[in-house]
Amino acid sequence: MSQENQNPKITRMLVLGPSANISTSELVQRLHMMEIPIIIKSTCYGAIVHGDKKDVEDSIERARKLDPYNIFIKDRGFPPGDPRRCRGHRGAAREGFHQLEREFRLLDFVGEALKQPQKVRLKKPQKVSPDVFREIINEKTKKNHKKE
Amino acid sequence: MKIAIFPPNSLILADLVERKGHEPLVIMKEIQKKVTDPEIDSPPLNITEKEPIKGLKYAAIEVPSGVRGRMAIFGPLIDESNAAIIMEEAPFGFGCIGCARANELSMYFLRKKGIPTLELKYPTSREETIEVVNQINTFLDELEEKNG
Repeated sequence: MSQENQNPKITRMLVLGPSANISTSELVQRLHMMEIPIIIKSTCYGAIVHGDKKDVEDSIERARKLDPYNIFIKDRGFPPGDPRRCRGHRGAAREGFHQLEREFRLLDFVGEALKQPQKVRLKKPQKVSPDVFREIINEKTKKNHKKE
Repeated sequence: MKIAIFPPNSLILADLVERKGHEPLVIMKEIQKKVTDPEIDSPPLNITEKEPIKGLKYAAIEVPSGVRGRMAIFGPLIDESNAAIIMEEAPFGFGCIGCARANELSMYFLRKKGIPTLELKYPTSREETIEVVNQINTFLDELEEKNG
């Protein structure tokens, strides 16, 4: 088994939300300053980091702390600059760009919701059956009669 | 816990699941295995003839090979999952009929599996996004409470 397979390399995308407090160049600079042996690529939406799993996870954990509500992270299948996906070689937007563009519009609201978390009910309240409703009315009316 | 997300490439869903300490089962991880495998030497064809055969576990022989090929990648993620978050009507989930049928089949398998599932509609406004984020966080918190 090759060394590559023993230490599988992973790629993660760091996407900055519309109201992020840091710019892409600042994010890349901070990633470089961490002095972790990973490949860092600056992109229009943030950065791509590639390297050993442990190193990449360490770097993204520290990067998230820079702006926890406006940095969003996801996996990427292809390594950075891969000619099969790189925009520079294809001459058009890479696959997945339009999806990212669409989700980017909502990132501001997602960050807002993360800042002020609220507990919500997952189950919708069920409708009361007519029989149960009749029983409740009867009980209430009986009590009212007794009071009078 | 391993959480299957749908669409399986969603940045928002993958990020929210990861923030709560769970593992999102994303398509990019499966794709990564395909594109970084040294055996594959004909980029960008990262799907081989073996995939439609693997897909037979999930779809019948009469089903087009495109759907079976896609299911060979989606299927193992569904098998692995302990819970699922399904977001319907995502604009980037749109594709050819092969994509549409593979998506329908994947959602069917997730629902049939009997695991805790949260079903949502893709948000289009600020209010809807905040509600969706809160629902996802509540769902993930409840999973944690149930399973420790």
